[in-house]
Amino acid sequence: MAKPMDRLETMPVSRRSRATRNAFRAWSLVVFAFLYVPIAFLVLFSFEDSRTPGLPFTGFTLDWYTSLPENSQLIGAVANSIVIAIIVAAVATLVGTMAAFPLVRGGIRWPNAARVAFTMPIMLPGILIGVGLVVFLAGTLDIQLSQLTVIAGHLVLTMPFVILIVAARLQGFDRRLEWAAADLGAGPATVIRRIVLPLIAPAILAAALISITLSIDEFVVTFFTVGSQLTLPIYIYTQIKFGVTPEVNAVATLVMVGTILALGLITLVATRGRRAGRAVVRRVRGGR
Amino acid sequence: MPDDLPAIELVHATKRYGDTVALDDVSMRIAPGEFYCLLGPSGCGKTTTLNLIGGFVPLTSGELRIEGQQVNDLPPHKRNVNTVFQNYALFPHMSVARNVAFGLEMDGVKGPEVERRVDEYLELVGLLALKDRLPQQLSGGQQQRVALARALVKRPAVLLLDEPLGALDLKLRKQMQVELARIHRQVRTTFVFVTHDQGEALSMATRIAVMDAGRIAQEGTPQEIYYQPADRFVADFIGESNFVAGRPSQGTDGPVLELASGERVALPAATASLATGEEATVMVRPECVDVGLEPPPGPGWAVIRGRAIGVSFLGDLTRVTVVTAAGEVVASRPHAERSRAAALGSLLDEEVSVWWSTAESIVIRQG
Repeated sequence: MAKPMDRLETMPVSRRSRATRNAFRAWSLVVFAFLYVPIAFLVLFSFEDSRTPGLPFTGFTLDWYTSLPENSQLIGAVANSIVIAIIVAAVATLVGTMAAFPLVRGGIRWPNAARVAFTMPIMLPGILIGVGLVVFLAGTLDIQLSQLTVIAGHLVLTMPFVILIVAARLQGFDRRLEWAAADLGAGPATVIRRIVLPLIAPAILAAALISITLSIDEFVVTFFTVGSQLTLPIYIYTQIKFGVTPEVNAVATLVMVGTILALGLITLVATRGRRAGRAVVRRVRGGR
Repeated sequence: MPDDLPAIELVHATKRYGDTVALDDVSMRIAPGEFYCLLGPSGCGKTTTLNLIGGFVPLTSGELRIEGQQVNDLPPHKRNVNTVFQNYALFPHMSVARNVAFGLEMDGVKGPEVERRVDEYLELVGLLALKDRLPQQLSGGQQQRVALARALVKRPAVLLLDEPLGALDLKLRKQMQVELARIHRQVRTTFVFVTHDQGEALSMATRIAVMDAGRIAQEGTPQEIYYQPADRFVADFIGESNFVAGRPSQGTDGPVLELASGERVALPAATASLATGEEATVMVRPECVDVGLEPPPGPGWAVIRGRAIGVSFLGDLTRVTVVTAAGEVVASRPHAERSRAAALGSLLDEEVSVWWSTAESIVIRQG
């Protein structure tokens, strides 16, 4: 594709504005460095030979990665995080998708107020939600803190995202497709199953992936609601209490790579989802 | 089904949205096999009528019958009518063949019968070769045909078409008009067609209902609507019209219309009964009006003097605008030979006469 012409670039500019522009360019590099240099060091030190990470770099090793599977506490925390993330994603996606329909399509009173109420937890500080959950679950209902309370906490955080994402897709949904399906003899349930769900599937999938990523890194709310079974971020936190260890660097690097892959998948699903989905459909049909 | 049972019948149908009346006590009967056109400006209630028949909006009061059966409260998926939507509303995640098969599957048609009928109707609209494409891989005209096949494949009692040609360019639109008329003749289903394009309505419909402000202003065949408009609204909306207002009186050779300037314009003999002295308006189509320096001699012509203020050459015809005592009169003259275009061109800024055969004058109500 041809590069779109930059209007500013084609316009003659004074020397002073050219200098200003270069200064802004340099500044943006500084901002990027601020964002990413710490993470670069984290990754770098996960390959550092020495037990106490720091400069200068003494030697390269993969030991911290290869020894991870032997750490049963770590493996337990990872497994716990994954189980929680999958349950959270499933419940949040189901409930959030169902909630998105009345929000977009009306049939409820004060839809705007309802939307704000549904998505408010995104704006609330995590610590407030965490304290609230402990007070309510442990203090009021007298429930033992466990995986279930962590799941409850994560649902409060992830459901609003699901609602936002699915609602955005429904907003752009052409209702006449549903009219057309009804016109051709499809009852309401068939319209949802054959027309609406396949067309909003990319949004639902993206929402599920975002829920998984949010749940896996969630720290603050988990910290308040966690029982005896640690999640990965809580495990990492307990480890660095006694100083940063190379194992933690290795785990953190793996989490980061996983998150980047998940985000890449979300982007792919959101932008190419329909096309890719159709390619699959075609292949399946062709093979029939 | 007996022939006198209408395919669609609206009885005192009214539709209100809040305080707005979209359809105001409308009654109509559409016979089986008709190509019935609902024509009018936007907001006249034509699309509302279609949506009522399709079952997408409920009636406020009155009755709707499809093939004699009252269907006021029947949901769309249980009505024996199918719709071609304005934006086609093709299912984007299904191939052309799947789109067309959808309605059959809903009816419980199975296996090879589905394939056979899908192929039959894709053949009818000339798209059999593209059956495995997705809708967005098709041009607008092709999508239109898929929508048509998808609706027709169910062999509905009535096919509803909501401005189906609106999104196509002019050439394609003309082509599809011919195509639609052919398909209508071939399948013999009742078509109810909504449009704001009078050319479309005139060229395809067997009967037209001109709608205005939620009511039917006139119902009739294309020729009746064009040549005997019931009122000024219809005359204005369908084609182009010249209106000449004056007071009828009795002239030496028959009835005349006396203009404010005192000029006397001959009226058709049949209008002798018009009340003398009361204001009346005569309509005449531009293509019936001739223009020149001197009018032809003899009776039977309505003549007005004026000044040619505009001459537009349009290729196949020339339009001459003449200011007269009765306002502007437009004459639209075809060019049977080239010299005629030049002759008409030379009339600009001249004192001229416009004339037409009194038989072409139509006395109309003020609408």
